[in-house]
Amino acid sequence: MSLRFGFGTNGLGDNRLPDALRLLADLGYDGVALTLDTGHLDPYAEDFERDLPRIAALLDKLDLAVVIETGARYLLDPRRKHHPTLISEGSEQRIGFLERAVRIGAELGAEAVSFWSGNRPADEAVPDDELWGRLVRGVERVITVAELHGVRLGFEPEPGMLVEDIAGYERLIAALGDPGALGLTLDLGHCRCLEELSVPDCVRRAGDRLVNVQIEDMRRGVHEHLEFGRGEIDFPPVLAALAEVGYRGLVSVELPRHSHDGPGVAMRSIEFLRAAAPGSEPDLRDLVAGYAKPGGTDWLDQQVAEIALDQAVIRRVFPLVGLRCGRTPAGDSGLCVDDAARIVLLEALGLHGPELTAELTDLYRYGDAAERRAVLHALSHLADLDDSAVPLVLDAVRSNDTRLISAALGRYAAAHLDDDAYRQAVLKCVFTGIPLADVAGLAERTDAELRRMFEHYAAERLAAGRTVPDDVVTLLEGPA
Amino acid sequence: MRIFDPHIHMTSRTTDDYEALRGAGVRAVLEPAFWIGQPRTSVGSFVDYFDGLVGWEPFRAAQFGIKHYCTIALNPKEANDPRCREALEVVPRYLAKEQVLAVGEIGYDSMTPEEDEVFAAQLGYAREYGLPVLVHTPHRDKPRGTERTLDVVRESGIDPSHALVDHLNELTVKTVLDAGCWAGFSIYPDTKMDEARMVAILQEYGLERILVNSAADWGRSDPLKTYKTGLAMLEAGFTEDDVDRVLWRNPVEFLSASGKLDVAELEAGTESPSGALFEGNSILRGSR
Repeated sequence: MSLRFGFGTNGLGDNRLPDALRLLADLGYDGVALTLDTGHLDPYAEDFERDLPRIAALLDKLDLAVVIETGARYLLDPRRKHHPTLISEGSEQRIGFLERAVRIGAELGAEAVSFWSGNRPADEAVPDDELWGRLVRGVERVITVAELHGVRLGFEPEPGMLVEDIAGYERLIAALGDPGALGLTLDLGHCRCLEELSVPDCVRRAGDRLVNVQIEDMRRGVHEHLEFGRGEIDFPPVLAALAEVGYRGLVSVELPRHSHDGPGVAMRSIEFLRAAAPGSEPDLRDLVAGYAKPGGTDWLDQQVAEIALDQAVIRRVFPLVGLRCGRTPAGDSGLCVDDAARIVLLEALGLHGPELTAELTDLYRYGDAAERRAVLHALSHLADLDDSAVPLVLDAVRSNDTRLISAALGRYAAAHLDDDAYRQAVLKCVFTGIPLADVAGLAERTDAELRRMFEHYAAERLAAGRTVPDDVVTLLEGPA
Repeated sequence: MRIFDPHIHMTSRTTDDYEALRGAGVRAVLEPAFWIGQPRTSVGSFVDYFDGLVGWEPFRAAQFGIKHYCTIALNPKEANDPRCREALEVVPRYLAKEQVLAVGEIGYDSMTPEEDEVFAAQLGYAREYGLPVLVHTPHRDKPRGTERTLDVVRESGIDPSHALVDHLNELTVKTVLDAGCWAGFSIYPDTKMDEARMVAILQEYGLERILVNSAADWGRSDPLKTYKTGLAMLEAGFTEDDVDRVLWRNPVEFLSASGKLDVAELEAGTESPSGALFEGNSILRGSR
């Protein structure tokens, strides 16, 4: 089951809603996160009753799935952003709006209706207990309407609000007696901003409560929605985690401050997501077919067939791959054609768990540099590997062979090295001139200790009258 | 001048040597597995050495735009040491590697029964893996040792043109060429050949099936002896093409018997040192 991507219409605020929907369908989005807003299916506008069926028909025609978002800034109060909320004075208006949103969701066949708690009121000194009481009472009423219409609700933790993290959501559903209708809307950028767990682990923790997902880049401690690549999140493991937990809803880009370049952002975002999604990595056989020497693909197919009959064949043919298939880089995949072909051979073994690790270890142990490099790359491609292959990564990082060190620091290392080993490996890259861009998971795993190590490294370089590599400077200048 | 040195022990040499080699036109080297000057005491010592020959040393060489190949074998001297005999069993695992172009150095040191057994076993490996052999001739009792070597090679059934008999001199060259094998000459100060004697041999025997190497190692030796022989040839009236034949085309032709030498790739890949590696390596940058 592949992931389904959507785009938040609040990032296309300068486009008419029907235009925005057509644009997203043309770009190949699977759905939209539709924020009811002034100018976008405004439920308080005069011609709302006329617009609703038209939008429903258009969504249907364009085959776009939809979730309803209710975070418009000035829809209820033209002067006060997000006001009123479920926990402020005047919450009745918010509850009424949410009930209305549920009915609209039912009309449009929405997969979820999403909402949040609201900030603690600035003008009222109310203890948190009382605010929680208001929240629970308000949410109960929305749930009642949602159950009536058979619409799923997604409650979204929002940094700075009364409920700002997954723990807060869990407290809320506990207080409500775990109502089935109240799922979780998880904004993955928020996870990076403030959750203790890594983003993929947040997804795993949310698990089957997930009914709606928002996605964008973000930096630790800064609640600013960023285009992909501008923040610190390593997305392939995040998307892999969504697939892993069996999430089937929309994963919608949430960039509400980017409307000035909305169509451009929407286009770049879907390209990025497709490239980062599991299974979207170039197929290894396609890479071999595209870059192998003449006869290389046929030779590989033959060896795969033989390995299927007798696994021991791999020990004989593994060294020959470069000769038979060639050694050129396979496009911008980060692999050479012999790496890709060797990983295909490893997959053909059909081994798992400890048996797979044992074979990888043997091939690495007796491998020349190219064979070892392929085994190291394979760690990030093969499924079913636990921590047991970490010694291979550590061996490679102890070497001074930059081909091995950089191959070792792929997704597997990012997921399995402990903090000390990971930091030392990153520092080794800096010392041996491997670009930090080649190191998987760096944005997520950079911590105070690694920054300290880099600072000392930079100071040593400067004291010796040498320059500091650009990527180290960039990392040190980035937000803490 | 483009040079392929078919016998040089770079493991024992410095980066200065690599730089000088490349500067003199050496674009490829073949490093035969041999003795390391001090006796090894276990098979593990061989394994680490072989790993270096297919791992670290080619990486080091690549920094300087030099393609590094090797030969793998249990050498005759240590064939006599029971602590090292097990190495014979790990040799095949390395013969399959793509940069291992021959089985070697094999042959005789003191012509003992142990050496006989190990020599024969490794000629068997060469047939099994379809590789040529690099045969060392003993430094002591050389003419007798060379004749016995040729007998064993002949009896093994290996195509003589797939055998390089090395460290020859004026006294042994004729028998080797007559046997149809390749004749290797090490231009090595004091103990082996020098440039002038080498030129005289080329004048007498011609250029066919003759290879010139420096055999530079941990002893007092000169890695630029191939280049200096080229200069001596030119001075003696040989043409540039003659020099290219002896120092490049002959080693390429002999080692092509391995089926692993991609000549087009070799000629293209060693045009100049690889920029990426130059930037990315951990050796060249003294500043790191």
